[in-house]
Amino acid sequence: MAQVGAGEVSKLAVLFERHHRPLFRYFVSMNRNRELAEDLVQDVFFRMLRYRSSYDPRQSFTAWMYQIARNANVDQAQKRRGEVVGIEEFNERRPEPVSTAPGPEEAAARGQDLGLLKRALERLPADKREILVLSRFQDMKYEDIAAVLGCEVGAVKVRVYRAIRALEQIYFTLAGERTA
Amino acid sequence: MTCDEAKILLADYWSQSLGEAQELGFEAQLATCNECRAETERLGALWKNLALLPIEEPGPNLRGRFYEALGAYRQGLESRPRRNLRDALAAFWPKQPAWQMAVSFALLVAGVGVGYGIHPDRPAREQPANSELAQLRGEVSNMRQMVALSLLQQQSASERLRGVSWAYRVEPSDTEVLSALLTAVNQDPNVNVRLAAVDALHAFGSSPVTRNAIIRAIPRQTTPLVQIALLDLLVDLKEKEAAPELRKLSTDEAVNGGVRQHARWALEKLQ
Repeated sequence: MAQVGAGEVSKLAVLFERHHRPLFRYFVSMNRNRELAEDLVQDVFFRMLRYRSSYDPRQSFTAWMYQIARNANVDQAQKRRGEVVGIEEFNERRPEPVSTAPGPEEAAARGQDLGLLKRALERLPADKREILVLSRFQDMKYEDIAAVLGCEVGAVKVRVYRAIRALEQIYFTLAGERTA
Repeated sequence: MTCDEAKILLADYWSQSLGEAQELGFEAQLATCNECRAETERLGALWKNLALLPIEEPGPNLRGRFYEALGAYRQGLESRPRRNLRDALAAFWPKQPAWQMAVSFALLVAGVGVGYGIHPDRPAREQPANSELAQLRGEVSNMRQMVALSLLQQQSASERLRGVSWAYRVEPSDTEVLSALLTAVNQDPNVNVRLAAVDALHAFGSSPVTRNAIIRAIPRQTTPLVQIALLDLLVDLKEKEAAPELRKLSTDEAVNGGVRQHARWALEKLQ
């Protein structure tokens, strides 16, 4: 990024190749919309170009990139206020998870559990979903997450605990509805 | 190590970033506390399964679109004539005084128009009265309130948690449910119910009663997890009135170190 900041704009391609997939997953998890997620990934890289002079090489690049990603997400949410995509509509757009377990019965059971987990994650409030996405899907260090969210590392750990607790409650509620 | 301290270490335990001493302490806690062990296993299984969710991959067009746009950006940079902002504005400003006056007037009219658009002072249209629909809504609302209140009084913590989740479905002006949630935050023996109740208070945050009650609840709490959740809530609600209480909390040696640090952070955010 330091090279991009120094004017070597073409080096942005290296960053794109390295980070566009995790960013895409972040946006899909936050918005449940693949097309929007692709637009937002594109937007993040062009915001990087626009704000390249604000990047400080002493700070974590990942944290800086996700700060930009969060801002892009908030901006689009403000633009689309009132235009909420339903979970059912979203599920129609995406294939159900495919299990990697060996036996067919085990595969079916695990596929069902993961499907339930995916639905529970989608129903989680955005702030809790975000912290799980950053810590679990993006494998970010808690220090970097703290920099992105603007809080201390201790608070991140507490929020991770609260988010997974809330996820558990939704998961078991959905499981109860399924068996009822 | 206490159960609360163990809960805070869970995130580090799962990401295998506990120090040796902490890990020994954590394992010892699991060996002696059935509740902590069961919770670690349950939540750990969810944590593990999260990694098994299918990875979303972008479509093939994203890469093409990016390189196309990057190429256009570079081309634009190379062909852009170098001029500063003042030159750019001067290029748009007419040279003739008559045109200058006309442009000024047009900008004034546009400004008034935009201002009117942002704050329209139009009378709200009256909705056609429909007493049956209103009655039905009232009944549904009463039913939700009743379910939330009755579940919040149950013996079982999981039933009370269900009661908290019903609290999301009542009107934010419902003072009875608000009062039951505040009682849960201050008095419920189960930390998870208290945490869930703090989250549910968010919807009631516009009321000054709620905000004052949250401020008063912080020093009454003995659990750092709940105190931190309450501090987060105050920051989310941008409650500046909390500053004196936060100042007191941040310097109180009797308070947990993490909570003191979080209170200082909350104070900075609110100032």
